[in-house]
Amino acid sequence: MSVWQYIAHFIVAMAATACFAVTFQVPKRHYLACGMTGAVGWLAYLLGTGPLGLSAPLATLLAALPLTALARLYARRHKAPLTLFLVCGIFPLVPGAGIYYTAYAFLHGQSAEFAARGAETAKIALALALGIALVCGLPLPAPKGRPDQQPR
Amino acid sequence: MPDELPAAPWAKPESALAQRQLRTHRAVELITDAGKTLLENGGEVFRAQQTMEIMARALGVPGFHCYVITNGIFVSADGALHEIRHVPSVSMHLARVEAVNALSRRLAAGPGAMTLEEAEAALAAAAALPDPDPRWQFLAGVGGAAGFAFLFGGALPEMLLAALAGAAELGTRLLLARLAHGRVSRLFANVAASAAGALAALLCGSFGPLAANVDTATIGALMILTPGVSLTMGVRDLVNADYLSGTIRLFDALLVAGSLACGVALAWLLMGQLGVPV
Repeated sequence: MSVWQYIAHFIVAMAATACFAVTFQVPKRHYLACGMTGAVGWLAYLLGTGPLGLSAPLATLLAALPLTALARLYARRHKAPLTLFLVCGIFPLVPGAGIYYTAYAFLHGQSAEFAARGAETAKIALALALGIALVCGLPLPAPKGRPDQQPR
Repeated sequence: MPDELPAAPWAKPESALAQRQLRTHRAVELITDAGKTLLENGGEVFRAQQTMEIMARALGVPGFHCYVITNGIFVSADGALHEIRHVPSVSMHLARVEAVNALSRRLAAGPGAMTLEEAEAALAAAAALPDPDPRWQFLAGVGGAAGFAFLFGGALPEMLLAALAGAAELGTRLLLARLAHGRVSRLFANVAASAAGALAALLCGSFGPLAANVDTATIGALMILTPGVSLTMGVRDLVNADYLSGTIRLFDALLVAGSLACGVALAWLLMGQLGVPV
């Protein structure tokens, strides 16, 4: 992909994530932050699958790291729960298509396809969850006025 | 409920005790309802548990214990107080999650930062945050569908087709909700919406000026409905060793995905009967 295509993907991913922020009823002041989180995750995923030649689950794990870091940064800056940025930001990476294809193969009795798609979907979901857990587990100095709350 | 009832002098010791118990009860109700608001609007399980514990500490509730899973909250406090909440369904409203979070922050800021009455009013305001205009929801969903068709490798025709299919899905959903006065079965709504989306994509994508890659467009449009987030959140719960909550979410995701696939299969069957190549 050319640089322009990466830029186009970044912008569209941002817009699409912001759209999902609207459907998840995030307050308006966070739209841009949600969009950035989603776009950074998607760009990292594209770089992982493209130039780095990683498999989809590995690229997802890689993409989850900057995505979650950015979400944590925004959560602290905006004094808002991490969930807001995380749920919207992971939207481009979640294996929505994968779980759909898995169910489709199951209904059509295509056992081999079902197993392959199901395993791939499970791997991607696990990679995403692990990436989130890794970055959330990083201890940071507690923010002021909230010594007892650390994200997990 | 006034803060201090004028106590009759002969009943003073008992009434002071009774009043303290009353206030504890109110605090526990407040905390449990805050947890319920978090859960039913898309907050994570461990976050609800954490927030409730923080609020209990801030309000000085003695002997507070709570157990939270995806669809329920169990609380006991002060030896004899018990509260249970059932949260049968989640609908994402992250503004309410943020408002409850802000409430717990203010409560935890220090003793006396907020009275029980203020906290009750703040929680009521958070739970009553309005649903935004359905027209905006609709537009955002359509935009999201078009965006995902692009991210999955589509070009302009696929994006337009996905926007159309997304509009069919969301329109079906809104129509069903209106017809059934908001009490439509989730399973049925999902099957109908995905069938409508797939039908729209197939019909417009196979003929006419919008001829495009129907698969890319369909999956872009289905991204609005697929339970990818609840699948990932379920796996997060499992990674956090909360096996019960994780399993509930996983099965929920599987059910939704199954009903979507069912709807698409129905659309294909119908088109096959009509002689459209699929």
